Amino acid sequence: MDHDKMDHDKMGSDDTRLDALFAAYRDACPDPEPSANFMPLLWQKIETREHTSTVFGRLARNLVTAALALSGILALAVSLSHSPTLPTESYVEVLAEDQARESLDYFEPVHIEPAADQR
Amino acid sequence: MLVEFELIKRAQKGDGAAFNQLVLAYRKRILGTIARLIGHPEDVEDVGQEVFLRLYFSLDQLRSAEVFEPWLYRLTSNAAYDYLRKRRRRMESRMADLSEQQVVMADALASEKVDRDEGQRRRIREAVDSMLDGVSEEDRVLLTLKEVEGLSLKELGTIYHVKENALKVRLFRARQRVLKAFATARKHAVGASGSRQ
Repeated sequence: MDHDKMDHDKMGSDDTRLDALFAAYRDACPDPEPSANFMPLLWQKIETREHTSTVFGRLARNLVTAALALSGILALAVSLSHSPTLPTESYVEVLAEDQARESLDYFEPVHIEPAADQR
Repeated sequence: MLVEFELIKRAQKGDGAAFNQLVLAYRKRILGTIARLIGHPEDVEDVGQEVFLRLYFSLDQLRSAEVFEPWLYRLTSNAAYDYLRKRRRRMESRMADLSEQQVVMADALASEKVDRDEGQRRRIREAVDSMLDGVSEEDRVLLTLKEVEGLSLKELGTIYHVKENALKVRLFRARQRVLKAFATARKHAVGASGSRQ
């Protein structure tokens, strides 16, 4: 019990010391006077970043335009190279023709050449 | 507010002169906050310029001029957080590495025994920086904004977009971690001075 109370008191005293230290720190660090270069340097940095963002913005816009143009050209090239010839027959006709070919394969008579010694 | 809403609205519309005035009005305060957040005076202006640079390119996203200050603080804490994450100095100097001298000085300071000349101030800065290096960047930024900058829970809630209760829990945990590190360092310092006697 006494030990807990001592710990609590100690913590309390540390708390007070810490507050005093923070207050002293505030007094020991007054607001510094800005140097004469502060504003010119700031505007220089602003202009540099504006310039950079403009250059990057322009570059990005150009890239987007180029990508769009390239995809357009590619789409055109693909559509031209793979232009399918449209079937003139109907589906039923194609199916019938295919079936006929299959039947022919199946029923085609077998031609057996007689052996040379049987002739 | 350090400026009129009208000036913010003009800057939002792309008025360079209005933006210039806005920076002039806030830069000292923001540089001070950054100095206390990052603890590296040599990099304060760089981080400050990054904040205003982000402000310039995001000002059109600001919903209303009334929330300009929390917005600016949000940009500031984000820039400081990014800077701290990049440096990752905390890996090199943990709270346990705090020198005995720094802790003794912190104790003396708390008892108001020190004469606050420049040397002392420098040592205070070093002590707190080392202590805050021992916790995560998130804890450091949050605690500094609350304990050093004196922002209210309501203001922090607006900056972090979280409810006050959630913020209280985060702050409590962050403070506990700092306190633990602080107590450990003090114990080490006391032990070291005791064994020397």
